[in-house]
Amino acid sequence: MGSLVLKDLAIHYDRQVVVEDFNLAIGEGEMAALLGPSGAGKTTILKAVAGLLAPTRGDILIDGRAVNTLPPEKRDVVMVFQKPLLFPFMNVAQNIAFGLKMRGDGSERRRTAVSRILELTRLEGLGGRKVHALSGGQQQRVALARALVLEPAVLLMDEPLSNLDANLRQEMRELILSIQSELKITTLFVTHDQSEALMMAQRLALLLGGRLRQAGTPQDLFHRPADPEVARFFGGGNFFKGRLQGGVFECALGRLPVSAASGNGHVRTATIRPEDIQLTLDAAGRPGGLAGRVVRTRFEGTATRAWIECDVHEVMVLTAAGELTLGQEVRLHFPPEKIRVFPEDKASE
Amino acid sequence: MKRSGRFSAAATILAAVGLPFATLGLWSLADRWFFPGLLPQSWGLRAWSYILTSAGGQVVNALWQSVAVAAVTAAAAVLVALPAARALGLYEFRGKDPLSVLLTLPIIVPPLSVAMGLHLWFIRMGLAETFIGVVAVHLTFCLPYAVFVLWGVFANYNPDFESQARSLGASRPAVWLRVMLPMIMPGIVVAGLFAFLLSWSQYLSTLIIGGGRLITLPVLLFALMGSGDRPVAAAVSLVFVMPAFVALLFSARHLGGRSLAGVR
Ligand SMILES: Nc1ncnc2c1ncn2[C@@H]1O[C@H](COP(=O)(O)OP(=O)(O)O)[C@@H](O)[C@H]1O
Ligand SMILES: [Mg+2]
Repeated sequence: MGSLVLKDLAIHYDRQVVVEDFNLAIGEGEMAALLGPSGAGKTTILKAVAGLLAPTRGDILIDGRAVNTLPPEKRDVVMVFQKPLLFPFMNVAQNIAFGLKMRGDGSERRRTAVSRILELTRLEGLGGRKVHALSGGQQQRVALARALVLEPAVLLMDEPLSNLDANLRQEMRELILSIQSELKITTLFVTHDQSEALMMAQRLALLLGGRLRQAGTPQDLFHRPADPEVARFFGGGNFFKGRLQGGVFECALGRLPVSAASGNGHVRTATIRPEDIQLTLDAAGRPGGLAGRVVRTRFEGTATRAWIECDVHEVMVLTAAGELTLGQEVRLHFPPEKIRVFPEDKASE
Repeated sequence: MKRSGRFSAAATILAAVGLPFATLGLWSLADRWFFPGLLPQSWGLRAWSYILTSAGGQVVNALWQSVAVAAVTAAAAVLVALPAARALGLYEFRGKDPLSVLLTLPIIVPPLSVAMGLHLWFIRMGLAETFIGVVAVHLTFCLPYAVFVLWGVFANYNPDFESQARSLGASRPAVWLRVMLPMIMPGIVVAGLFAFLLSWSQYLSTLIIGGGRLITLPVLLFALMGSGDRPVAAAVSLVFVMPAFVALLFSARHLGGRSLAGVR
């Protein structure tokens, strides 16, 4: 249906640089996520792709064709905004048919297309409703239907789940995924929620401060973050500076065996995810590991987050191991293959 | 309790609005009404038959003149106010605050001074004693009102609706026609109504710029009042109020502003 390539994109508002050096390629029929904290420039990028905002530099290519100079209505791209933005003076069916009407489709064609999309988005029977008489979830689905009915080459969605409460969110997520896999519309959606991005996307791009930090599969970004900031965004913790030498990472915690490639003794940063650290109670007597004391705990339901003081350093652990009491003596084990040593730390050289 | 409360509220409003009209109605039907009678001593249709027959042509002419001036003024006010209010409501720009003060000037300066000041200019430009001249002088205070009403509308207007429409394939003109216009229609009706009624009730400025050539209903009304014939003046007053009343009824459903509460 359509591939989307963004090349060296830069976007300014007045004098303020919002996005710079942004590159991203999304294949035909792919579901891609643009992930980033609020204010990172996600909406800005979507608007530029939709043609609602002119980039300062760079190219936007759809199916290999540059569309920079095309007005929004001439691009085969539809953007669904974060808020439903349903036209209040039209009913549900009229809202959905809006784009078809603008395109010049006849009333008969509009009717069949609308009834098909109503079914697909589980809005059967609501075509005649006033938009005020819909629930939040239904409004969001009408907004989605209004875009889908046009079958654009590229569909853009700005935080499609952020206005919904937890239950509806899951429902809507599954709906979007099933529709996307059925219609195979190339989709780029925006979210600030890392778990949402990991669950929904085939490709993932992390945007921090208007710059692309890493793009790849969800597994790439989660297990092989490019730098500590990426790791931190995905819930990582425990960053230690040290030197890598002969399969051992020497840092303040001691000498940790790692499976990383050989190092040259330069200062590097290593990390281990809180859930990858194995915690044993001291009494269990598994030898080795690092001794420490529990200083803080947070019960998170399926697991408990605990801060363990080893010497003067705190290590954050996510563990399912029973109940921990403050001051309790525990041992921490760091599986070598779970320790990620980042490429050389230029800042500290 | 609730019901009686609603009843008394309705009664109060009706009394406040209705009493002056009732008095006018009584006067227009009075033949003789001397102090201290609470009601006219004798009744008659003299006033009505006078304004409908012998003075009929005059009244009807003045009525049309008033409608024409007010309608053209209202349309022009809305048309000019629309882009200005949109810019004021949606964008921040330098000079916005001084501009808003400037806009209030014609509202706080008495129409008499404005008309006097403009008169000389209008004579030079050949606008004095013309329809366009009268519309122009009415516009000096109708336009700021229209701008203020529409400014408020655009301050609550979410331009993302327009971006959404364009992304769905609407061209710029289509967005104005099919999205912006329906969205702000209640505001346009209110602004137009304000401008219409304001122009409708103008007397001094019409007299000065129109120079007695343009006889609108208020101008005629004052002339008849001057003659001291109370019943006739009352009847003309009622004729004067009627179109405004009809316009108000016609647009009442837009005044609640409920259609503006879109799904934002
Ligand atoms: N119309 C605008 N004018 C000026 N700055 C803007 C405008 N819209 C957004 N910004 C700024 O651009 C940055 C990115 O905004 P946005 O793309 O909305 O972020 P996100 O969608 O990732 O939360 C923010 O710092 C924001 O303040
Ligand atoms: Mg945003």
